[in-house]
Amino acid sequence: MGIRKHSIAIALALTCASLVSFQARAEDVKLTLWSLDRDIQPAPNLIKEFNEQKNGIQIEYRQIQFDDVVSEAMRAYSTGKAPDIIAIDNPNHAMFASRDAFLDLTDMIEKSTVIKPENYFQGPLKSATWDEKYYGVPKATNTIALYYNKDLFKAAGLDPEKPPKTWDELVETARKLNDPSKNVYGITFCAKANEEGTFQFLPWAQMGGSTYKTINGEGAVRALTTWKQLLDEKLTSPDTLTRSQWDSTATFNAGNAAMAISGPWEIDRMLTDAKFEWGTALLPVPRDGAQRSSAMGDYNWAIFSSSKHPEEAFKALEFFASKDATMYKDFGQLPARADLPVPPTGNAVKDAALATFLEQMKYAQPRGPSPEWPKISKAIQDAIQAALTGQMEPKAALDQAAEKIKSIEG
Amino acid sequence: MRRIIASVRDGRGFDFVLVGVPFAFLFALAGLPLIYNILMSFQEVDMFSLGSFIRPFVGIDNYVALFRQPETWPILTNTLIFVVGSIAGQFVIGFGLALFFWTSFPGASWLRGLFLVSWVMPGLVVGAIWNWILSGDFGVLNFFLRESGLITANIFWRSDPNFSLWAVVIANIWLGTSFNMILLSVGLSAIPGDLYEAADMDGANAWQRFWTITLPMMRSTIGAIIALGLIFTLQQFDLFAAITDGGPNNSSNVAQYWAWDLSFRQYDFGRGATISVIMTVFVMFAAAVYVRSTRHEVRG
Repeated sequence: MGIRKHSIAIALALTCASLVSFQARAEDVKLTLWSLDRDIQPAPNLIKEFNEQKNGIQIEYRQIQFDDVVSEAMRAYSTGKAPDIIAIDNPNHAMFASRDAFLDLTDMIEKSTVIKPENYFQGPLKSATWDEKYYGVPKATNTIALYYNKDLFKAAGLDPEKPPKTWDELVETARKLNDPSKNVYGITFCAKANEEGTFQFLPWAQMGGSTYKTINGEGAVRALTTWKQLLDEKLTSPDTLTRSQWDSTATFNAGNAAMAISGPWEIDRMLTDAKFEWGTALLPVPRDGAQRSSAMGDYNWAIFSSSKHPEEAFKALEFFASKDATMYKDFGQLPARADLPVPPTGNAVKDAALATFLEQMKYAQPRGPSPEWPKISKAIQDAIQAALTGQMEPKAALDQAAEKIKSIEG
Repeated sequence: MRRIIASVRDGRGFDFVLVGVPFAFLFALAGLPLIYNILMSFQEVDMFSLGSFIRPFVGIDNYVALFRQPETWPILTNTLIFVVGSIAGQFVIGFGLALFFWTSFPGASWLRGLFLVSWVMPGLVVGAIWNWILSGDFGVLNFFLRESGLITANIFWRSDPNFSLWAVVIANIWLGTSFNMILLSVGLSAIPGDLYEAADMDGANAWQRFWTITLPMMRSTIGAIIALGLIFTLQQFDLFAAITDGGPNNSSNVAQYWAWDLSFRQYDFGRGATISVIMTVFVMFAAAVYVRSTRHEVRG
């Protein structure tokens, strides 16, 4: 009898429990999120943490390959199967925002206590902005600066604490460091015929006072002429035209180039691979006192306008933003936040490099923003390559690019 | 009714079913996409209209605009050079190897099998390896050329507009040679031995035997392999992605890579489809040659 009583009680308890849990599950809002982050990168880990809060919102993660992000997202959106949240490469943001495929978050951000526009670096925030409205939130950011080999500086009789500050100094320094007999080039960078080439060239044009709309301006022509000079004098490897930034910097790490232009993603590899003392400096400017600029990379968070749960999706973004403070420590990526100091890592070389990149970040400018960015970028790449292979003069090549960009933008 | 069933079981109807099933399969999986592609080449397609079927019809605007682009003719010329260069290299080396192994020395068939390794490897892996071999400053190829005194200064295979296309051709020849060799070996072993014995008795030398027996007997195999080579070469994409990215300044860009670039990097699907249509015409020509040259085999 006693057993029976107990079993009834247990059965009842179980039923209640399962009912409760069933109800809880029924109430959970399901969100989907797409990004290209692997298991050691932010998205999947932040989602795991978010889901463990059990606050009635559960996020499902899907990893997408780099080349597929835009085409997958477009296809999904046009067939009504878009995810709620996506991490999108910043130059592609405007393409979606301008078509209202992304949700206008301006009002939500205004009310938010976590996401405040003034806390972000201007460059990344601008890339998530279209028509003066916020269509996303920067997820992380990066930029490029100058790495240089202090040992080679000393060997060439240069002061290792005085890296080049202007373009002329850069060329002059590269000449001094260049040593074909030892297989050492003065500098390495990337002029590849893909987005990487535009990424590296645009800051030079911007420092010269041009923008992508005035790509044949005097400053941009001088920038391209300087690049051409580096190639023509063999101060950089001709393979600069076809090598990625990552592969180019590998030659710096191996001691085959005395300077390199690349981003903070190189730091960890450099710490293990480079068997010499190295330092970092801001990108050289056209002349003393000229305005600074730099490239801006990495992804933005955005919510698709087709999402059925925009409020909940925004809550997820707020949660992600609240974790910005530990982003560098946990994942080695720089948050796009001007208000958060990146905590010291204990490695003086690394901290010095990070300080340079954070300083450079203040001047970083987005590519575009323009809904036609991929085509504009292609026009710029074509000009860079036509000039650097000697098939066109820098001015003529950039004139042609400006013509193309004008017709693209209509 | 019964007559129809009977005909399906054993008669005209059965023939129709035999033809109809593969035809339906082909139509669904190859025909429809092809038609869709042709349709797209007459429409203005961007990423947001990708999901819908009805899109602004622009007539032959895509074609006109395409041929107005300054890079179009150079890229088509590159495609031609790439196709002819690759096929010629693959065929000549493949034929040479096939004849070599045909002499059947000890271990010949074994070695011949090993050659297939290059064909089995994924294109991207092959591309990555050739990327290192062809690298200007530290590449193995330059090292050998320099050590053997053929060149004095490094050749920047990937980055010199005069060499970039040939860099990909070299890699593609390496990739496709073994496939040519195997097919040609099969063709060679199908030639009856008594023909050669008879020729021997008539006093024909090796050269004459090759020109008057081997080549004519291999005609259909050679036709097939060149047609297949044309198709494979026009499909070659991985090597471009891995070695030159079509650069510098489009000097190694070819139609198939350009179509992808337009569609999936610049999101101009209409123009990407237009190039595909132009390429389809060429491939159909190759397919016709292939069918013609294998016709004899089918009829026995």
